[in-house]
Amino acid sequence: MALRTRESLIFESSVPGKIGMDLPHLDVPAAKDTRPAHLKRNAFEALPSVSEVDVIRHFTRLSKWNFGLDDGMYPLGSCTMKHNPRINEKTAALPGFTESHPMAQDIHVQGNLALMFTLQEWLKEMTGLPAVTLHPSAGAAGELTGVMLMRAYHLSKGAHRRVILIPDSGHGTNPATAAMAGYDVVELPSREDGTISFEDVTDPSTGKIRKGFATLVAELGNEIAGAMITNPNTLGIFEYRIKEIADILHGIGALLYMDGANMNALVGTARPGDFGVDVMHLNLHKTFSTPHGGGGPGSGPVACIAALEPFLPRPVIVRETTKVGEGEVATHSYRLDWDRPESMGKVHAFFGNFGIVVRAMTYCLSHGGDGLKAATLRAIVNANYIRKQLTGVFHLEYDTPTLHEIVFDDSIQTKKGVSTLDIAKRLLEYGFHPPTIYFPLIVHGALMIEPTESESKEEMDAFVDAMKKIAKEADENPDLLHQAPTTTVVRRLDETTAARKPILRWTKA
Amino acid sequence: MRYLPSAPSEDRALLDAIGVGRAEDLLKGIPPELRLNRELELPPQASELDVLRTMTAFAAQNRRFTARFLGAGAYDHFVPTAVDMITSREEWFTAYTPYQPEVAQGTLQAIFEYQTLICDLTGLEVTNASMYDGATATVEAALMAVRQAKKKNTILISQGLHPHYQEVLCTNITPHEGLKLVQVALKDGVTDLEDLKAKLGPDVACVMVGYPNFLGCVEDLKAISEIVKPAGALLVSVTQEAMAFGWLEGPGKLGVDMACGEAMSFGNYVNFGGPFLGFLAVKDAYKREIPGRLIGQTKDLDGQTGYVLTLASREQHIRRDKATSNICSNQALVALRANIYLQLAGPEGLKGIAEQNAAKAQYLRQRLLALPTFEAVNTQPFFNEFVLRYKGDVKAMQKACADEDILAGLDLSSYATALQGCTLWCATETTTREQIEHLVEVLARIPSLA
Ligand SMILES: Cc1ncc(COP(=O)(O)O)c(C=O)c1O
Repeated sequence: MALRTRESLIFESSVPGKIGMDLPHLDVPAAKDTRPAHLKRNAFEALPSVSEVDVIRHFTRLSKWNFGLDDGMYPLGSCTMKHNPRINEKTAALPGFTESHPMAQDIHVQGNLALMFTLQEWLKEMTGLPAVTLHPSAGAAGELTGVMLMRAYHLSKGAHRRVILIPDSGHGTNPATAAMAGYDVVELPSREDGTISFEDVTDPSTGKIRKGFATLVAELGNEIAGAMITNPNTLGIFEYRIKEIADILHGIGALLYMDGANMNALVGTARPGDFGVDVMHLNLHKTFSTPHGGGGPGSGPVACIAALEPFLPRPVIVRETTKVGEGEVATHSYRLDWDRPESMGKVHAFFGNFGIVVRAMTYCLSHGGDGLKAATLRAIVNANYIRKQLTGVFHLEYDTPTLHEIVFDDSIQTKKGVSTLDIAKRLLEYGFHPPTIYFPLIVHGALMIEPTESESKEEMDAFVDAMKKIAKEADENPDLLHQAPTTTVVRRLDETTAARKPILRWTKA
Repeated sequence: MRYLPSAPSEDRALLDAIGVGRAEDLLKGIPPELRLNRELELPPQASELDVLRTMTAFAAQNRRFTARFLGAGAYDHFVPTAVDMITSREEWFTAYTPYQPEVAQGTLQAIFEYQTLICDLTGLEVTNASMYDGATATVEAALMAVRQAKKKNTILISQGLHPHYQEVLCTNITPHEGLKLVQVALKDGVTDLEDLKAKLGPDVACVMVGYPNFLGCVEDLKAISEIVKPAGALLVSVTQEAMAFGWLEGPGKLGVDMACGEAMSFGNYVNFGGPFLGFLAVKDAYKREIPGRLIGQTKDLDGQTGYVLTLASREQHIRRDKATSNICSNQALVALRANIYLQLAGPEGLKGIAEQNAAKAQYLRQRLLALPTFEAVNTQPFFNEFVLRYKGDVKAMQKACADEDILAGLDLSSYATALQGCTLWCATETTTREQIEHLVEVLARIPSLA
């Protein structure tokens, strides 16, 4: 893989006198030093003195130690690692966008406002919800915005409700978000088919009774602000009682939030607004292919029902249409409306990750309504193909029909002492990025596979083949898996020491 | 569809293997009455050429300016070509969170270097892998301070914080019952120390001060820290223009406990305000309380140095509702851009660019003040931004500039009554003397006032 297996920290290559950025010619008098002496910048301790050549080689070598989407299948479940079209990068780099200033007057950024308005319209059609904000920076930020919308709504009704219900299969950001918005989290148990249980569930290991949705609604009643439900859920299963859940919540004045991380299973086939969802977020960095960037930036637009619209973050984009004579084309102008007395306030310094919004708009235009639906169906076919091929090779805890992803586990392999971690590490040696592991928490030793629509039959067959070989190896030569990986630039790393004695930055020896 | 890599015959083979006739049969888990029984009412798919035309048309509707004097939280700095080139490698921009460290050492080592650089700039010991933007980093700092301070419930914020950061803070603090946000007034462009002392009661968890502040003024953090420390509160600096760290001492060296803010200035475009780069740096004592991802150095089985995500027990995927924050995806690629920028600049480059920013802003201010229509409103040291009162109609002045392809300074009238008629001007290393002279000429031509 990598041509070089060592690349020291840049700080160790620093040689005073080198520079990687020559200063432009200064055409005004040098700055007068107006700073009080103690506020004057002293020495830097780490900033390296290196040339442009050094920097480019440094980052090029480091890059070769990364597995990217174009290196092969990257079936990281829940993350929707689909192809990143290059035109999206090109459009996002158009100077008309990159030079546009967030504090400029509306009349000077009509293109941006039109683009954002258009994407909002597309998202409304896909979600079946009538209002959208693009401000949240990622999925978790969308959740927070959505939950605070719910809060603002309840307060406007004079109600103070303190509880949010979240299934045990939910992503960690859901309970963390609810807590950040000042709510108490009450967990909803899953039933044996992997969906939310209405009835109480007895925990097989502890014998403890966990209250089901129906019991919790009866007991907590109007203490409940709402529920945060992922649909399809993190097992890839559609919560088929979602409409009933929504109706029950609405019956007690509560709201239904949907984590839309898995919209890649629904775009063009079903709309949350049609099954009772009041507010939800989408991940442009998942469903709409914007690149994950090694961890971000993403974008987490929120869509909601009309009753929540007054509370949306400020400012909102308003379109004004100039009336024209018969036969003429109407012209539109756009403005930012800051005068939103019921708004929950701002959630980002400006308008969110605009550059990501440009990429997502590009993706939408490329696909069109028909292409979006085709992508959804293809993602579901791919996941079901892998499900079919690997069933029996790996254990499937929930055999309910699944949509865009499938969660196996390691319970067949643990009999030979092989864990999900071992399987993932061995997969690296076969040239694939491993699935998401150990999530959702309700599946012990989870292997969550989401191929997306971007994988060809050939690539999936190679992946399936590798997984089957690994299963065989687990049976015959478990130690091979314990040792994996040996072909990567580093082997397994000591995470315990990393956490016990954290070294979080370089310091001069 | 060019992004779907399958021939019709392969599609058939997949469906046959699964044992269904049509892809739609796989939707059986969705109750029929909940499905969308029509096509999406959206335009059809389009070729790359057509899409490029549509997107270019959007971009063309934005007004482009030849000279820009607007900052206010988004700064026009030169982006070295190497930054764009390196980050366009698929290994950087298509990968995700480094969950599998053996195939993500590039990302992990890069973030470790980024953490080192942010610590160097801020003069603090621990920073995370990034936050969404300056405003949300400010929220996280405030929430962290409140967690540290246990029973104290008041957050004092200087009125000099960016008004948008103040609003985002308010949005996020409001749901926490019992927490209070209290403003400290400004005097002559900086935090009023008397007002600060008066409000600094035993209930104060932290004090948040701009550095430089929204008006461009450099606050004396040392003097403020000498007031805040004895009161037992934490001092947090909020920097909306991180380029100032090339000109000003790191806040950690001036008694600050946490430094947060916006670092888009390192290798990014103003881009309508995002993606930007929030940062949050803290003293070592708070490392187990910091939100967001942290990268640590360790060894592999063979004793080779390597990097991993660490101290994860603070985070949402482990701690759920007890986590230090809900943040999951962050701004990693923007942090990479900042990292590349800072390495290219090095200590000499960063100081040099920062000095040029100061020089251009000083020259701009001096030239504007030479006009009869502008007057100074404060006497504080500033970095690359400053406030002047305009004696005429600000809107008309901005329009006269726009007509000459100049983006004028920000109209501050709507931000505070005291700022009526005030304008905020910014110059960076990208501003030329010629642009400044042109601006002055345009301003001088505006018919004089009554
Ligand atoms: C189901 C689910 N919800 C929420 C999130 C959080 O999204 P983000 O990382 O964009 O904040 C994720 C991300 O992995 C997810 O898989």
